[in-house]
Amino acid sequence: MERTILVPIDFKVESLNALRLALNTINAGKVNVVLMYAKIPTDSISDFLFYSPDEMVDSLMTTEFEEAIAILKNRYESLLGNISVELFHGYSANALSNFLEARNIDKIYFSKNYKLKPGKKGFDPTPLLKKSRVSYQEVGGESVVAERKTLSTLFNYFGLEIANH
Amino acid sequence: MKTQLKIALFLIFTNSLMLLLFGGSIYYFLYNYSYTDFYKRLETRATIAAKYNFDADKINAEPFKIIRKEHLEKLSAEKEYLYRVENNNDLAEMAQKSELPMAFLKEILNKGKATRQMDETFFTGIRHESKNQTHIVVVSAKNYYASNHLLFMRNVILLGVLLIALITTYLSFFFSRRIFDPIKHITDRVKQISKDNIHLRIEEKKNDAEISQLISTFNDLLNRLETSFETQNNFVSNASHEFGTPLTSIMGEAEVMLMKQRSPEEYQQSLMSILGQAERLNQITQTLLYLAQTGYTNKRVNFEILRTDDLIWQVKEMIDKLNPKNNIQVDFSLLPENPKKLKVMGNRQLLSLAFTNILTNACKYSNNKPVVVTIASSDDQVFLAFTDHGIGIPESELPFIYDPFFRASNTRNFEGYGIGLPLTRNIIKIHNGQLQLSSVVNEGTTVQIRIPLAKIP
Repeated sequence: MERTILVPIDFKVESLNALRLALNTINAGKVNVVLMYAKIPTDSISDFLFYSPDEMVDSLMTTEFEEAIAILKNRYESLLGNISVELFHGYSANALSNFLEARNIDKIYFSKNYKLKPGKKGFDPTPLLKKSRVSYQEVGGESVVAERKTLSTLFNYFGLEIANH
Repeated sequence: MKTQLKIALFLIFTNSLMLLLFGGSIYYFLYNYSYTDFYKRLETRATIAAKYNFDADKINAEPFKIIRKEHLEKLSAEKEYLYRVENNNDLAEMAQKSELPMAFLKEILNKGKATRQMDETFFTGIRHESKNQTHIVVVSAKNYYASNHLLFMRNVILLGVLLIALITTYLSFFFSRRIFDPIKHITDRVKQISKDNIHLRIEEKKNDAEISQLISTFNDLLNRLETSFETQNNFVSNASHEFGTPLTSIMGEAEVMLMKQRSPEEYQQSLMSILGQAERLNQITQTLLYLAQTGYTNKRVNFEILRTDDLIWQVKEMIDKLNPKNNIQVDFSLLPENPKKLKVMGNRQLLSLAFTNILTNACKYSNNKPVVVTIASSDDQVFLAFTDHGIGIPESELPFIYDPFFRASNTRNFEGYGIGLPLTRNIIKIHNGQLQLSSVVNEGTTVQIRIPLAKIP
């Protein structure tokens, strides 16, 4: 059975933990993943003229994030189909339901303990996603520290982690 | 030859060449022009002379003469020759009388017009036909303009070229010196800096981007040299201290034993202690040897394809034997499904030495608290993370942890020499990997290692 899931991200390695935990709950089948980053649309006409989502994703992407995706791809090689990073511009529930419908999203996964920290002009789409008609699941929660660290210990987040809690 | 002189000479040469070309071409074209112009003037005069001498009945000759006298300036040594030609004999007679060359007269007769120069005198002759008679009119004069004005002009140009060449020479030397002065200054300054006063630096210059870049490059180099000098000095003092401690205790032990007669048990005990110290010395020398060997990258090491998770298990088993109280947990939650993604090119002995170093340190400095080893891999490298919850390393001391024999200030209660981490880093470097260490005092330390995957087709 092939399905598509959606995980909101903020281009930080920690936000991919939700994906890892989500994949742990899925045992078989093929899973396509849409990583969604919510960004306030620009109000400048010239920006609209030269609007290119690929370039925008490239500028937000970090090497660490890319490597973390590669690690997850290798870990769940038989389970994972396609992973794509998509931008969502919009504020309304209708815009979001269009977005979800266009991509055939079956389920949305959130992390229970990690709150997204979007960058400049980005926003946290969690409340909007929770209101949508697509079902969602919150993953993780038993041990905050252990859950958060698994991926990020591989990258330079150790000092940050300690400082954050 | 000095570059400064080369640049100056080059500038002088090119500038003089351009000046000479400029002056020369002005002189040449003006010279040509003045000659053509002069012949034209002579021709006009010849036409006028012919008109009022032979066509006098058609027009009034008197006003012509007046106009000519009033408006045409007298050329120097101006002469008119007027002849009537009826047959070829006339030409020979004419040539005899006027001392004009026969060829010139013939040319006038045939072509209707000719010019010629003899010494400084210029001749223009025309053929004039009127009333069925043919006349030859020749006007000759000296070209005052060419002989005087052009000469003056030539002198002015020569003088100007000479003067400008002099100025260019001066400017060329001035500029080449101005360019090279700061470089000479840097050279002088760098010459002063030696091993004893390596703290000296070259003053930075403002308003001179290239030079200040050069200076800052030099200063950076000096900074690095100074640091490595200090490291080397520290190494010697630390090494002698490390070697000194066991030696002192061996000597002290022996001296005490030799003071008086002792029982065999006492001798045995003391020899045991001496042996222990000697073993410690031996261990330090062994590790130092390894460090030296791995420090030279040009030394060939035998590489084979290794599985990193296998290596970690082997190291864990070995540590289990040496230190049964350890608490090492291997985290496989990110282990890739494809074992190919765990294979690296490496030397088994060296890599297990590196992992053993990190894991024993992690156990030692955390008093056997849990140590987590995470293994993961992306598409081109293997990630290993060793996390402990030990005493950590003070942030101010993190830059020195790779110096041999350096030990952090909070490690007094633990035994060690401070050679393990530099050795480990050398080993990872040999494998083209990266080693990063982050630490917080009393929270723990994480060592991250990345090694490129082996290229297996």
